[in-house]
Amino acid sequence: MAIFIIRRLLWSVVLLVFVTFLTFLIFVVLPSADPALLRAGRNPTPEIIASIRKTLGLDQPWYVQYFKYLRNLVLHFDFGYSYQNFLSVKETIFPRMPATISLALGGAVVWLLIGIPVGILSAVKRGTFIERFAMGAALVGISAPVYWLGLVSIYLFSTDIGKFPIFDATGNYANPWDDFGRWLSSLILPWIVLAVSFAAIYARFMRSNLIEVLDEDYIRTARAKGLVERRVILRHGVRSAITPIVTIFGLDLGILLGGAILTETVFNIPGIGRTAFDAIQKSDLPVVQGTVLIGATAIVLFNLIVDVLYGFIDPRVRY
Amino acid sequence: MSTGSVDLLAHEGDDPDLETDGAAAAIEARSPLQLFWRRLRRDKVAMTALVFIVLLILAAILAPLIVKLVGAPGISTPDRSTFDDFGLPDASKGGGPGSEHLFGVDRIGRDVFSRTLYGARTSLEVAFISTFAAVVVGVTLGMIAGYYRGGTDTVLSRIMDIQLAFPVLLLAIGLGAACSLGDGCFGGLLQPGLPVVIFTIALAQWPYMARIIRGQTLSLREKEYVEAARSIGAPNRRIIFRELLPNLVAPIIVYSTVLIPTNILFEAALSFLGVGVQPPTPSWGEMISDATSIFDIAWWFMFFPGMALLLTVLAFNLIGDGLQDALNPRAKK
Amino acid sequence: MTRLTRARLAPALLIAVAGLAAGCGSSSSEKSSSKGGTNPGGAEIGKGKQGGDVTYLAAADVDFLDPGQTYYTFGFMVRDATNRSLYGFKPGEEGPSPDLAASDPQISPDKKTITIKMKPGVKFSAPVNRAATSKDVKYAIERAFTANVPNGYASSYFAEIQGAPAKPISIKKLKPFSGLQTPDDQTLIIKLTKPVAPRVAAALVLPISVPVPESYAKKFDAQTPSTYDQHVVFTGPYQVKHDASGKVTGRRPGKLIEIERNPNWDKSTDYRPAFLDSIRIEEGNDDQTVATRRTISGQSLMCCDSGQPPIPILKRALTRYKDQLGRVASGGTRWIAMNMTIKPFDNLNVRKAIVAGFNRSALRLTRGGAAVGPIAQGYIPPGIPGYDESGGTKGFGDTLDFMKNPEGDAALAKKYMLAAKKQGVPVSSDGKYAGKGGILTIATNADPGLSTAQVGQQEFSKLGFKLNFRKVPQDTLYTKFCGIPKAKVAVCPNVGWFKDFVDPESMLEPTFDGKAIKPAGNVNWSQLDDPKINAAMAKAALIEQGDARNKAWAEINKQIVAQAPGIPYSWDDSFQLESKDVNGIMNGNFTTWDLSFSSLK
Repeated sequence: MAIFIIRRLLWSVVLLVFVTFLTFLIFVVLPSADPALLRAGRNPTPEIIASIRKTLGLDQPWYVQYFKYLRNLVLHFDFGYSYQNFLSVKETIFPRMPATISLALGGAVVWLLIGIPVGILSAVKRGTFIERFAMGAALVGISAPVYWLGLVSIYLFSTDIGKFPIFDATGNYANPWDDFGRWLSSLILPWIVLAVSFAAIYARFMRSNLIEVLDEDYIRTARAKGLVERRVILRHGVRSAITPIVTIFGLDLGILLGGAILTETVFNIPGIGRTAFDAIQKSDLPVVQGTVLIGATAIVLFNLIVDVLYGFIDPRVRY
Repeated sequence: MSTGSVDLLAHEGDDPDLETDGAAAAIEARSPLQLFWRRLRRDKVAMTALVFIVLLILAAILAPLIVKLVGAPGISTPDRSTFDDFGLPDASKGGGPGSEHLFGVDRIGRDVFSRTLYGARTSLEVAFISTFAAVVVGVTLGMIAGYYRGGTDTVLSRIMDIQLAFPVLLLAIGLGAACSLGDGCFGGLLQPGLPVVIFTIALAQWPYMARIIRGQTLSLREKEYVEAARSIGAPNRRIIFRELLPNLVAPIIVYSTVLIPTNILFEAALSFLGVGVQPPTPSWGEMISDATSIFDIAWWFMFFPGMALLLTVLAFNLIGDGLQDALNPRAKK
Repeated sequence: MTRLTRARLAPALLIAVAGLAAGCGSSSSEKSSSKGGTNPGGAEIGKGKQGGDVTYLAAADVDFLDPGQTYYTFGFMVRDATNRSLYGFKPGEEGPSPDLAASDPQISPDKKTITIKMKPGVKFSAPVNRAATSKDVKYAIERAFTANVPNGYASSYFAEIQGAPAKPISIKKLKPFSGLQTPDDQTLIIKLTKPVAPRVAAALVLPISVPVPESYAKKFDAQTPSTYDQHVVFTGPYQVKHDASGKVTGRRPGKLIEIERNPNWDKSTDYRPAFLDSIRIEEGNDDQTVATRRTISGQSLMCCDSGQPPIPILKRALTRYKDQLGRVASGGTRWIAMNMTIKPFDNLNVRKAIVAGFNRSALRLTRGGAAVGPIAQGYIPPGIPGYDESGGTKGFGDTLDFMKNPEGDAALAKKYMLAAKKQGVPVSSDGKYAGKGGILTIATNADPGLSTAQVGQQEFSKLGFKLNFRKVPQDTLYTKFCGIPKAKVAVCPNVGWFKDFVDPESMLEPTFDGKAIKPAGNVNWSQLDDPKINAAMAKAALIEQGDARNKAWAEINKQIVAQAPGIPYSWDDSFQLESKDVNGIMNGNFTTWDLSFSSLK
């Protein structure tokens, strides 16, 4: 087990290095955007541009730049400085993480609270109207683009222009320790909208898992022993049906923590996703690197956690 | 994010059942395809969805004709008589949904109905081609990795790992931004416009397909008939194409039908973010994006392309569900 | 959703250095700029309630706090409230007023010497805590010529100061300019190599004349680039929060700027009433629809750093919330630039055909229609001398047939296309362009500019031109594409130029002089390089302020329009929003709210 984790950790590090390298490469392919120009002001004389290029280290070949980047990252945990405004990338990105984490975790709570019970109910009430309705709704949920749902929900429910003003959706995000009320009210609608498609996926997944499990022999045995149905389902059925959910939950959370660009965009939430998107559009390589790295780290890390957790939940898994 | 792979992963748990189906079909002495079609035909929901998609494809192909038939003004003719003094579409002047403009007009006075209809072309074209490309690449590499194992497998699997660790939407945005200029990128191989979008989506999606096929191939290659073929010295290429591929048809079909709606959403998301299809080509995602600046006063501009997107993706998902049930009747009783 | 960029439109949002030296040539500028701007609810300038805190919603950070580097509108707004230059603009007034200076600049008869007297007792904020002197202004100007303090305009407007280096030099090599003399603490004498004193004197309203204490700033300026930006000291009624050592603590880029009263400020030395106690600039509000909506319905909010509100909001504001809307002439023109070095736009008849066929009224509709301002007819906007001489809102339609019909004239367009056909341009017999390949077009990715670009694309297609479209953020549009001739962008549908000076030269020289074409940061987007026009500009630049000058520049304006380098379409005003309880005052100089004149109701 320990060896497994160490091996996986090492591979994760290699993986992340590859990811940064790939990001760098993509930027080399990008049509020439001279970041020095962004800073050179109205009269970008060659002298000023040259001096800025030197400050940014742009006068060196790209592989030297990459090597230096990597060295600073590894040795000093230094993500470099934005081409756009010379700010440290750490200062640019880390303050934006609470918003992304709030959005992802809150959304996850909502979709688990909806998805799992609906999935269980649908499996138990198989063949009834309830199941058909729930699964139909789930399929619609999966099919709806999140940004569109976001717009529709703002159109219907936002406090200022909504037809039924219930939720605040005016991009009022504040960090919870600064203003808890504002944090909560600004996130409720985004959480719900973000959770829709995930809740749908989880409900479908939960249902099909549970149906499968309930057909297994040991469940039949339990039933035959005369256990109460509710107990059979909750104690035995749900318990094993939920194991695979842990896997996709970990992966989904990993992806979302790297930034939910679309949801952040529609609801004007100052998170990592939007930072990354803006940085790409402005060719701000260091910031792009930072956001991609954080996104990839989240994915890799959660993959690892899932794999390890799996060993605890499901003793059949051997490392 | 509703794009990406979540859906695929959600289905991954089902896959061991797929291969048993081949055996069941053999017993009933019908070709698997026949059996499958019989089952599918009994699924009313899936058939309705199929009819919808067929109609949609027809509508996309015949878009110019339909636009003429309905008497709509076409995709790029502005009707500024529907504007108010500020240049915004005004429902009281015929800018909203009505007889003149079925779905109203957009921010610059173009007919939303015509553009939604033409948007289907973009959507389907991108989704079909990118899915096809992702499937071809994914299946080929997945089979190679699974069949040869060893070093080949390690290298290919690691490449997939790296790509799966890369935030997929960011990769797509980066490529979309890089290749949408002048002659595109890779020395002009990749032209701006639809080709870039298709390439980007295919690139982002192939690893999922490859992973699944690799897993299937790994288990298939241990089957007796493959062992037998190998023991009589059949060449690898023959085993891969004659023995393995036919047995992979079912999962390939299932995951392709999952990929199509995913890719429709993918294209729409890219266009929504402004790095997908470029104007004046109508795209549902782009229309929704354009609508954001006026959606509170012109709901129709946001609503109809979104509904078109929702219904199309829903229909494909329903077909996908139907296909899965038909291939794997055990799951639904 | 839509994102907005810091730069409102032109990269040079360098604002008015208005009214070239007091007294000169003001006659025509008064005549033409009837719109001094309107303040919401008829707010009276200079009257207001003392005290209160306001939050200002901004998309992004100010570019710089360092007055030597400040360049964009938003930076100008903050600078004006926190740091005083020699001359400044009171809201509602056409010309500049002495700010740090005690009186108008004295210009010698040979126009080579300027003498400025400064007020005593204007103190720097902590930790400098002493009165600003002419030596501080001298150093401020000198440092702007170094590579350590990249300044956007020093070399354009102050290059004639004796001893000023021709190119930015390292601060280590900086020697005192012989042309900047300080016989005492209150006197600054500027000696020039050419008789351009009126222009240099007028340019002293720019932040370059904000005093910088050399002994304190020296260690920061030694860095490349200077870190004085993080250690600025203040002379204005307000200051950005800082610690005892002078390090700015109240600025967290991308998040907020905390502006508070400057305890060292003495009201008796300043024309600013400074009603508010504090201004909190909240950044990251890059969705303008959301920000403006929040402002209208909220309390004590002002908005925005990124220019005009979205049209639906503007409409609502103009019809329902008029008392929450500030309006001021923007002193700028918007147009679609055609790159004259790229085929087929190298052909005059093609360009004329395009302008003739264009529905410019439809373009203006994308910015809000007639309610926001007239259709542009040339490149000297209302409020700038030479505007009336250029035919006002009618423009040159009487003499230039292709400018006559703003709705577009298909027959005339066809005529010009066929004329181009005779010159070898691929044109079909019905007057449609038949060349192969798309035409590279870089458009902004947010409304209203995006709509403008799409209408433009439509209008181009009427004549058979297929635009190959790419959407990018507005500042990327300038810095990466349209401002770089090497990028070979053929059509830039979202360009515009806003006043540097209340003077026609500053409207036309950077944007249409062939000599102004630069490899980077280029704003002669059409790359118009006509020897006749270049020569006319060189000549007109030397003409004294007054009718003759205005006529000469109007004539140049006409020559430019006759070359059809672009499709001018809008002279719209600047609008800003505020909450109900705010008594905002617009400043025509930097075309946005004036923080030190605004108050709470």
